[in-house]
Amino acid sequence: MAANQKQVAISEFFEKNKHFLGFDTLNRALITAVKEAVDNALDACEEARILPDIVVKITKLDNKKDILQLEVEDNGPGIPRASIEKVFGQLLFGSRFHAIRQSRGQQGIGITGVVMYSQLTTGDPTHVESKIAKEATAVSVDIGLDTRKNKAIKSNQDRIDWGEKAHGLKVKTKMKAKYQRGRQSVWQYLRMTSIVNPHADILFIDPDGEKHHWQRVTERLPSRVEAIKPHPNGIELGQLQRLCSESSESRMTTFLRRTFSGVSGRAAKELCEVSELEEKLKPKSLNPQQVRALLEAFQGERLLKGKPVKLLNPPTSCLSPIEELLIKKGLSKTIDSKFVTTMTRAPSVTQGNPFQVEVGLIFGDGMAADKPVEILRFANRVPLMYQQGGCLLTKAIESVDWRQYGLDQAGGRGVPKGPAAILVHLASTNVQFTSEAKEALSDNETVMEEARKAMLEMGRGLRKHLEKQKKMGKTKEKFELINDIIPAIAEKSAALLELPVPDLAGSITRIMSAVIAETTTTWNKETKQTDVHIAFYNYTSRARSYTMLVNWPERQGATMVGNELGGRKEAMGVWAWKLETLQPGSRTVITYSLDGLEKGDWNETDVFYRGSQEVIGATKMDEKLLEEIRRQEEALNAPPPDEDADEEGDAEIAPEPEPAETKPTTPVGDPKQTTLFGGDY
Amino acid sequence: MAERKSIEETKTALHDVVREMYDRIVKGEPPTMTLPVRTKNNIGFDPKLGVYKYGKKQTIRDATSLGSAKQLLRALHVIEFIESMINDGKSSTLREMYYISEGWGLGKFQSQNESNNLAEDLEIVTRCLREDFKLRPEEDGARMIGNLTLRERNRRGEWMRINARDDVGDSGYGVPYNVEAEKIEFLEHDINFIMAIETGGMFDRLVENGFDEDFNCALLHLKGQPARSTRRIMKRMSEEWDLPVVVFLDGDPWSFRIFASIAYGAIKTAHISEYLATPTSTYLGITADDILAYDLPSDDLSKKDIEALNAELSDPRFADGWWQEQINMMLEVGKKAEQQSLAKYGLDFVTETYLPEKLQQLGL
Repeated sequence: MAANQKQVAISEFFEKNKHFLGFDTLNRALITAVKEAVDNALDACEEARILPDIVVKITKLDNKKDILQLEVEDNGPGIPRASIEKVFGQLLFGSRFHAIRQSRGQQGIGITGVVMYSQLTTGDPTHVESKIAKEATAVSVDIGLDTRKNKAIKSNQDRIDWGEKAHGLKVKTKMKAKYQRGRQSVWQYLRMTSIVNPHADILFIDPDGEKHHWQRVTERLPSRVEAIKPHPNGIELGQLQRLCSESSESRMTTFLRRTFSGVSGRAAKELCEVSELEEKLKPKSLNPQQVRALLEAFQGERLLKGKPVKLLNPPTSCLSPIEELLIKKGLSKTIDSKFVTTMTRAPSVTQGNPFQVEVGLIFGDGMAADKPVEILRFANRVPLMYQQGGCLLTKAIESVDWRQYGLDQAGGRGVPKGPAAILVHLASTNVQFTSEAKEALSDNETVMEEARKAMLEMGRGLRKHLEKQKKMGKTKEKFELINDIIPAIAEKSAALLELPVPDLAGSITRIMSAVIAETTTTWNKETKQTDVHIAFYNYTSRARSYTMLVNWPERQGATMVGNELGGRKEAMGVWAWKLETLQPGSRTVITYSLDGLEKGDWNETDVFYRGSQEVIGATKMDEKLLEEIRRQEEALNAPPPDEDADEEGDAEIAPEPEPAETKPTTPVGDPKQTTLFGGDY
Repeated sequence: MAERKSIEETKTALHDVVREMYDRIVKGEPPTMTLPVRTKNNIGFDPKLGVYKYGKKQTIRDATSLGSAKQLLRALHVIEFIESMINDGKSSTLREMYYISEGWGLGKFQSQNESNNLAEDLEIVTRCLREDFKLRPEEDGARMIGNLTLRERNRRGEWMRINARDDVGDSGYGVPYNVEAEKIEFLEHDINFIMAIETGGMFDRLVENGFDEDFNCALLHLKGQPARSTRRIMKRMSEEWDLPVVVFLDGDPWSFRIFASIAYGAIKTAHISEYLATPTSTYLGITADDILAYDLPSDDLSKKDIEALNAELSDPRFADGWWQEQINMMLEVGKKAEQQSLAKYGLDFVTETYLPEKLQQLGL
């Protein structure tokens, strides 16, 4: 009787909460199941530093009753036999529940929810196979749930031979679910997952047997994230009380410095001072009023000489952004278009939680020009597929007037239209959602501002690209004019008049009356290098002299090879050649190749010039911009500020995200960004 | 100017166009083609001819942009093509030329409109007619019914005598694309005027009601904006037989334009206005005041209609008081009406009441 009640209770629990558990519709149930399994696989691989190979297979078992079978297999570390039942059969089991760092799942209904949903809709257990490296064979076991005891029921446990495969996990489960295509589908979820996990290889076999393969585009695993200590700005009363009472420290100052991030020696003293606590007080002995006073000091409500106590920002090693180059690769492999611009903002902090916004925009053919752009939202590398309209990230996109950057947008508000997709990724130790469904981010001014700034920067990149394309189109036209049309006119008119074909040089000079640079940047399959070819034509009646400059991805680790004209390094990522004399009617060519890059890393080269006469196809060098690059280079090469100096209490590092001394004198973008030339890397 | 040119004259005129381009290249300059500006800002009334002609404004098409350079190259291809047709004694339609241009590589036309415009450009610059170039329009000539007799030289080169009332069916005599003297001669008639009608429906109504016999006139179906041959045959009949032309159109801004092209010359063909336009023709209806006077079923003017009317206010061809009044009235009323809206009062209203009243006002 009691068991029965419990069974009813847990079914009810599921039924009542299926919205936020993600099982409210038959389509969503399947996506959620895939999501839980794939997220686990990616997390496990990341922790074990393994490049993930994931296979997802969906088979229709019973069409009438909508019964599907889902199989997910990975090459992760596997789960030791003893832990299998905990991972699959216990709600809220997970090691990352309390750690302050960026992670995919943030609370743990997880895969157990899938096992439960499967059992409730089909009555069958979930089949699990797991192999860890140090064991010769894999464990094979069926997991069901004893909903009364919140415990797994194991059956058919066995050892099986996995042949070559050293480690991994295989989950096979049946459920009542529907496979659908479209914007909210397993396919879309996996596609989005592959964009933000460029290090993963994902193979999806849909119910029709069709294979969708998203290949790995980088061997680089996401950087390892460290758990950090809580920051005073993000602490709540209960949490502070617990931290105090559980502390074994003997002095308040030591407690404050060791328990929290961002608290220097001086700040610890000041916090004690404003909250009227003696420095040598034992944290354990604090009474509730004292804890409250400390919290007020934390939140800047108690002032020291009219100001809140200065705290350092929490360290950002707990964040793992995807980073610009990899976003670019992820987008490029999924959407076939040539232009991609990306921007990873510097980490920032809101309410003591470090966060970082990344955006990417892919533009070009292959996408519908008259439809709203595709929005790809992610939180901590997890795709967000529902509630697009209510999400902070969507609002950030909508708040930008995209018309000035070359996209259509009715009234300068709302989702822009055009052949583009916009990616937004929020990496944070504490992602705030609008609801338990965890599909839309809730409003937060600081995050919004960061996202907006990133969009604007990216928009500038897009505008520059479109302008460049237009310019290139014009240059191309000029070349067609003088290379094809004018000679044809000369020949045809001569033939009709039965006269000799006249010399064209004069006409061509008059038509062009300019120096023209023609630049191509192409991937060379054979050499695995990016070949850059720049030709200068002097179509003026005088000899000309220039310094020509290009940007190149030096910071990304590229090396310049085969540069026969030599030249010199002008600044980080900027190379220059002095072209002493370009004779009238002559052509000079600069060629070089970039080594150490992969296909798609570098698609466009910007050419700049110094000289009096305009060069069509190049931009006049902005010397202030160049100075800015040099300044940043110096700043980057300077030794990083010493952590210990903070402990001495005499370092004066302002907690503001943008210290005044690094502000540029010219508005060339955000001073904290390392992307120059408008984010085209 | 509108005299027919000999083969040699035509060739020389075309070579002058080529010569301009060639000479510029020899001088080290971009090749050019000079032609009059073809907009309403460059047409003026020629009192001697009684029609509107292009003024003195010239535009120089030079090869400094890809678009114009391609135009020049196309012109050369067209000239070469015309020369070869003249030499071989062939002719082709404008549409055929458009398709032939497929083989012209860089000089190929992107649309038939382009090839038509270029043929006109060459007419203007060389002061020849496209008939001299051996280029025929695709356009559909008019239909005509009335007691008049002409002779037309048929395909076999024989002259055929045709009475446009007794020798034709209900669809009337079909006007060929070439209505010059070598093709058509007017013999005799028993009519007092020629009535040009915009729509087929109204033409058929008047035919069915026997209007041509009751009022001793020739009925001519314009088929919207009339083709060059339609305007030319009206001009010839009016001139050679000294007959007035009355024009019966819908009551909207576009009909005003049709009338202007019949009476004063079209902007596009202002170079040959004296050859196509019939300055003595009169606008019969539907006028803006007809809409009110006859309380005709009407439609509201669209945005485009209003734009067109405003453009007409500054068009020199509509500068006279009567037209300004009509246009302003239509703008004021904000309505337009079709010819066939007269059917509101029955099928015979147009022939028994409306037209007799209007003709009487004109003294016909």
